[in-house]
Amino acid sequence: MKRNKPLALVAGAALLTLAACGGGSSENGDGDGGTDREIGAQEGGTKDAERQGPAPEVEGAAAGGTITVYLPGDPGPDSLDPTGGWSVTGNSIQQALTSRSLTQYSRDEEGQPVLVPDLATDLGTPNEDFTEWTFTIREDATWEDGKPVTAEEVAFGICRSLDSEAFPSGPGTEYSKTYFAGAADYEGPYTGKDPNCENYDGITVEGQDITIAMETPFPDMDYWGSFMAMGPAPLGNASKPPNYGNQPLSNGPYKIAPGGYKPNEELRLVKNEQWAAESDPARHQYADEWVFKFNQDQAKVDEIMLSDNSDSQTAVATSLGSGNYNDANSQLGERLVQQTSQCVSTLTPDYNKIKEIEVRKALAYAYPYEDVWISGGEVPGVTRDYANSIMPPGMAGKKDFQVDGEQIKYDPEKSKELLAEAGYGDKPYEITMVYYEVDPLAKDAQDQITKGFEAGGFSVKAIPVQESPYNIWLDPDNKVNKQLNMRGVNWCSDWPAGSTMLPPLLKGGAVYNTAGFDEASINDEMDSIATLPLEDQAAAWGDLDEKIMTEYFPIIPTAFRNDLFVFGTKIGNPTGDGSIGAPNYKDLFVMQ
Amino acid sequence: MSADTAGPETLGSLSNEPAPQDPNSEQAKEIAGKSPLRIALGRLARDKVAVVCALVVLFFIICAVFAGTISNLFGVSLDTPLASERVDGLNNNLPKPEMGPPNGPFTWDHPMGVAPRTGQDNMAYWLYGCRVSLTIATTAAIIASIVGVVVGLLSGFLGGKVDKVLSFFIDMFLTIPFLLAALTLAPILNERFNTADNYATIQKFSLVVVLSVFGWMGTARLIRGEVLSLREREFVQAARVMGMPTSRILFKELLPNLAAPIIISVSLMLPAFVALEAGLAFLGIGVTDGVSWGQMILDAATPVYFRDYPQYLWQPMIGVVALVLSLNLLGDAIRDALDPKTRR
Repeated sequence: MKRNKPLALVAGAALLTLAACGGGSSENGDGDGGTDREIGAQEGGTKDAERQGPAPEVEGAAAGGTITVYLPGDPGPDSLDPTGGWSVTGNSIQQALTSRSLTQYSRDEEGQPVLVPDLATDLGTPNEDFTEWTFTIREDATWEDGKPVTAEEVAFGICRSLDSEAFPSGPGTEYSKTYFAGAADYEGPYTGKDPNCENYDGITVEGQDITIAMETPFPDMDYWGSFMAMGPAPLGNASKPPNYGNQPLSNGPYKIAPGGYKPNEELRLVKNEQWAAESDPARHQYADEWVFKFNQDQAKVDEIMLSDNSDSQTAVATSLGSGNYNDANSQLGERLVQQTSQCVSTLTPDYNKIKEIEVRKALAYAYPYEDVWISGGEVPGVTRDYANSIMPPGMAGKKDFQVDGEQIKYDPEKSKELLAEAGYGDKPYEITMVYYEVDPLAKDAQDQITKGFEAGGFSVKAIPVQESPYNIWLDPDNKVNKQLNMRGVNWCSDWPAGSTMLPPLLKGGAVYNTAGFDEASINDEMDSIATLPLEDQAAAWGDLDEKIMTEYFPIIPTAFRNDLFVFGTKIGNPTGDGSIGAPNYKDLFVMQ
Repeated sequence: MSADTAGPETLGSLSNEPAPQDPNSEQAKEIAGKSPLRIALGRLARDKVAVVCALVVLFFIICAVFAGTISNLFGVSLDTPLASERVDGLNNNLPKPEMGPPNGPFTWDHPMGVAPRTGQDNMAYWLYGCRVSLTIATTAAIIASIVGVVVGLLSGFLGGKVDKVLSFFIDMFLTIPFLLAALTLAPILNERFNTADNYATIQKFSLVVVLSVFGWMGTARLIRGEVLSLREREFVQAARVMGMPTSRILFKELLPNLAAPIIISVSLMLPAFVALEAGLAFLGIGVTDGVSWGQMILDAATPVYFRDYPQYLWQPMIGVVALVLSLNLLGDAIRDALDPKTRR
């Protein structure tokens, strides 16, 4: 999934960003100095199909209290409809607190996310070639009105994800539509005037068993099952969009308070008395109430969190202004949590215009990484880190290789040498790119890029634009886009598999393949990896990542991205959720 | 014998008017030779506030005109440095100690320090910001006054249909909300010109156009009112009777009599435009390349920087405030000096 704010901007302000499954967390620095804060090593996702409710108690947890979450610069979800949710903010909140799905993540003691069952009793049973998955729905899960969640309702909820007209920005458009059998011909319950989903036979219900037939092998169905779009919806008109999105029926430990959802402003959740801890392997119900405040001012939130007054003691902030990092780092200790967001920032030289690999590598050496991060308002080594390849750290199969033997860093002399090797030594090689003029940070970062590139033997024409650069990069008919030979994408994984990173960025014809990279052999290899035995796939993606980077170097990974979360002094168990790049809402409590 | 109560003696002591003198004395001859403008200048020179303000304005003009020379003298420039050479990314992106305040001692390499986050030299940006500010404001003020004066003259003197049409245009432009129009224009201009090589110049040029398009109406109305009263005066009637062409009446007879209102409107338009330029740049719809006081204020106006590095915000702030204030006071003083009826 893309990160909305391009290039070097503050991650907290990114909207509509779906990130990350299988990530890490922080091993927090020591409380007094706090300067040697590091991100914990990550091992990719693990699974535990046997996990049953209730979830183990968090040490020292207490019930009661209200937790306030400030989300600076983040407008929050436009709708709470589980089927339409595909953003870091909305999914992290709803999946942890209100909306259950087939599977879910639990955070283990080392901070690693573990895929565990949710509404299903296990992680699903695929057939031999992953073209059919069967999930058995548990019987003891209930809605907030006390009625049991039935297999029919889950099947109907899954069927809703096939309606790409009713939910144009939902994740179903990418996964259900691609993988489910016959999905391309089915318009969905609302667009297709089939309110009970009777005309689609890809999903069948037998007793408590739901069977989903696949068009092509889909070994990652259990990960896809952790999206709230793969959860239940009340049958028929009760869940008709768009009204259902204002007050969806909850089945998790919390429900939306009456009138508690004000888009772009606030979301208030209260305890759902009908939720039974025994039915849920990973969620808790410690706090009495949750208040999410959207669109907050970063500077204001920083002041609140650093003041440690009675308001901020039970509050959580989902980002920290870079100007306050030092104060926060020394003052907050383990209450400042650094979390990988499983995202990579890239520059994408146009593969058809910049044909020589030497030139693309020269660009990588001419990019002043740390200077761009600093002037873009990031903290080098904290919110941004050097990247060696496309797959983010912590992804299964990720290899720790270096394209040129060591990490590519800013080295204008090396860049000039490479340019000379490619035969462009005599005059500057022209680069045309865009930057987002409205944001002074983007302008300052662009100044640094221009400076670095020019030192490295390039000449830069930076075109200021006033709309999101994605609108330019993704529009093939845009007149500015036609001039560019350098673009960029920030990409986050949907779950810890190379299949959510490499094909979307580098397969010929993919929407976000802004480099226009298209090599038949690589495309074939991507297709063939999906047919490999499941246990070999991760390594195969890692090998492919290395092969692409060393043989073609089609895009320049400029940074791996991390988020910073701030927790109040009375918030227990301050941790991040490695699966999605958000605070670990499932396990937080108020210390009494 | 009783003295006249309002005799020359008592009057002389109560007013600034020169005491009646023998018309043949040395002093009287000197006074008689002065033009109204020279009298006004003499009054201005006696006004202490005006003199101080004029000096301040002169200082800013020198800074603006010689921005390049002064920068070279101090060895500073607008060039973008590599950020990591000058600022500490792990210390809230504040300048490194060897770059001067807030973490180090004053250094002649960067007399006004460097900007946090980017490491750009504050002095160079301040000087060139002053140049941008004054260039845009002066050009816009001159254009707006010329348009205003011409429209006011024509509309007041010709009257009838011409007056109706021109007055309609004045009213129409007054109804357009300035900020809204500027906000709308910015993306349109960007869309049209963003691939041009001289985008920065086009941006400044369009800013001048926007400021003058929305700045001429006040002058036009003022001049029109003046002309309405002047055109019925005897000397104009006489000129007409003598068969002078209209253009000659307008520019030779009327214009010299309008010198005072014109100078006043220009002198009050200047500070308004300086403030507007900074305001627009702050909103990100004027100059966007960073070389502007408004953009400097935008960068500096965060609680963290203001707490740790207040000079960074004060520098452009003081620039804008001092320039606008002194231009305003100077404008007031000029008006007082040109108006023979004022008593202070």
